[in-house]
Amino acid sequence: MRKKSPKLYGMLAGLAILQGVIHQGIVYPNWKENYAPLSGGDMQGLSADQLLFAFAGFRELIAGILWVRADSFFDEGNFDAILPIVRLVTKLDPHQIDVFATGMWHIAYNFTDEGSRSDRRYVPSAVALGAEGAKANPETYELFYETGWLYYHKIEDDYPEAVKWFREAMKRKDVITARKNILNNVYQRNGQVEEAAEYMYGNLEAAKLKQKSNLEFSARQNRDTIENNFDNHLVRMAQRGFFAQKGGYYDQFEYDTKPPFDVGFSARVTAIDAKRIKVEGTWNVLPVGTRVRIVLRDANYPSATPGGMVWNQGAAVNLDPPKELTFMQDQLFVKNQRFSRVIDLSRDPNMYPFTTDKYVVEFFYSPRQAPAYIQDKFGWNGEGMTDKNFLNTDIRPGQRVVYTKMELTKDQILRRGEWSTRVPVVQTSNFAGFGSKQLDGDVIKVPGILSSP
Amino acid sequence: MSVILSIAKTTLGEAIRRKVLLVILLIGVLFLAIAPALEALSPRQELTVLRALTLGIIQLTSAVIAVVLTVYMIPNEIERRTIYTILSKPVRRWQFLIGKYLGAVSALGLMMALMTGIMLLVFVVLRKIEGPAELMMIAKVPFAFFIQMSLLAAVSVFFSTFASPIVNFFLSGGVYLVGTLFDSFFKVLSENSTLNPLVKFMATVIHVIVPNFQSFNVQNSAINPGQQIQAEGLMYLGLSGYAVTYIAILLILGIIVFEYREV
Repeated sequence: MRKKSPKLYGMLAGLAILQGVIHQGIVYPNWKENYAPLSGGDMQGLSADQLLFAFAGFRELIAGILWVRADSFFDEGNFDAILPIVRLVTKLDPHQIDVFATGMWHIAYNFTDEGSRSDRRYVPSAVALGAEGAKANPETYELFYETGWLYYHKIEDDYPEAVKWFREAMKRKDVITARKNILNNVYQRNGQVEEAAEYMYGNLEAAKLKQKSNLEFSARQNRDTIENNFDNHLVRMAQRGFFAQKGGYYDQFEYDTKPPFDVGFSARVTAIDAKRIKVEGTWNVLPVGTRVRIVLRDANYPSATPGGMVWNQGAAVNLDPPKELTFMQDQLFVKNQRFSRVIDLSRDPNMYPFTTDKYVVEFFYSPRQAPAYIQDKFGWNGEGMTDKNFLNTDIRPGQRVVYTKMELTKDQILRRGEWSTRVPVVQTSNFAGFGSKQLDGDVIKVPGILSSP
Repeated sequence: MSVILSIAKTTLGEAIRRKVLLVILLIGVLFLAIAPALEALSPRQELTVLRALTLGIIQLTSAVIAVVLTVYMIPNEIERRTIYTILSKPVRRWQFLIGKYLGAVSALGLMMALMTGIMLLVFVVLRKIEGPAELMMIAKVPFAFFIQMSLLAAVSVFFSTFASPIVNFFLSGGVYLVGTLFDSFFKVLSENSTLNPLVKFMATVIHVIVPNFQSFNVQNSAINPGQQIQAEGLMYLGLSGYAVTYIAILLILGIIVFEYREV
């Protein structure tokens, strides 16, 4: 052996080539395809020992330990600390679906002000996180569903995106039966009334088939639910004049959506104190259930759209939203044909920094978000609704919405300069106050109580 | 062959009696036993965290065992002069080295099997596994780790033919780290379009030459079940083939160095 053995060296060379071929030809491509993390990504935020462990192949272990740590932050209410952990865990192990789902919910819902209003500047990051998670886990419906849910429930706008994500979710085999029904609601909110009916019909047929082979009560219950929803939908299509519009005879008969009802919107915004505004107005619809969206934002907010913003801002998950900008969104609950509310933005300077000089207050209402009993009058697209001053058919194509905006300056909102002694008030030209008769409507008189001795 | 098996058997017996290895094993087993307690702390991710932790514990403990088991292998024989007794018999040096390696790998396999058994027992007792298919899915991950650690043991055996145990410990640990994390660097380098082609070529050469320990990290599919894994059988076959080839290279290199060494 001490003599040089050419055979041995030859064998070594052969084995070296063989290992390269096996690794580069079979192992590495397969590993990259099936087992590799989403991306190398930057691991900033990991301590030196965590970084060492993560790079040494213990990514999932570190991800698990970090997620356990995140739970204590949830308990403590230290929401800021959870965000980087969520990001790290999703980078270390992009297949932890619940971390993506919890992270999206956390980003979109949990950063709130004193009035429980979410910080909308974070929402595009939640959407991006959902898209990233769905891309990394295309085999399961969950993150497609969660991303669709953000559009449907949190954003309540941009419904084509909601439809897109929910449709992707429904293509997956593991989608839960009970979750399939949501898509018909999303179709309706997107104005796709026929698609909703077709979808329900398809689900009903599938449920009937399933019921034949599955005698459990849940199968029957599911079938009954779909059938009931489908029946209601068909009735609504008829009563709201959908078939008539499609057939071209809408003008000839009476439908619930005719004639369009004037909601008589008016509004007034008063800066009652520094960063405290009082918003009041009228909405001549008696049944409870109307929520008018209000947005107060920088006049030049970069991604703003009328009554909202561009929620899909690309693939980058930016956990550092534009902190120098202000974007407040809330709902004004209508009761007794009016709304009145004080919005206090003074306690959350990080959410509402008011750094620029000009601001707009927007009011937005779309029947798409209305409950079914109001849609029965207004229709899916607002065909049964009008407003002689603020009806808008441009800002949401295919919809008749109510929209107006007012301007405020920084000095007015902060009540400084010339506005330190004067009360700034901006209002629609038709705002005429409520009158004493309407205010009386707030008192619910129960016979016998007031007159009791 | 009987010579190699005899040495392997003796090495296995020695390894099982070594207290330091038993302590490491005991720590690993204890961690495996208490890991389920952490599930109460992990919101909505109980099973994922439990699987990640237990598989991570097995991998980490096995890596330490693989290195500690082999770094002392040749130096101890030389220091205690037992190697003279062995080599004075009709035992060739290559037979001695291969026997030592096989004995070490057998000990490693036994210890890993024990840890895997405890992990599966914990899952079964706590009803964290639904059916034999899921049990198999988790059980095959430690098998990939065993191949990985056998390769690490071969690296360590190669270094033990010329390096002292302490130096060997850091050398083997270094190769393990480079072999695991170079993949991330390589990805960054290969995606950088402005990089000098020569540097890229060198990176590719290193990527091919250094044993890639990252490729054995297949635990993600077991930790997060439901992923569609393509050609899993081929992957395990490829991993085995890659490891066996690389182990052969390292042992041949070790034999060459050991043959030239004065003992």
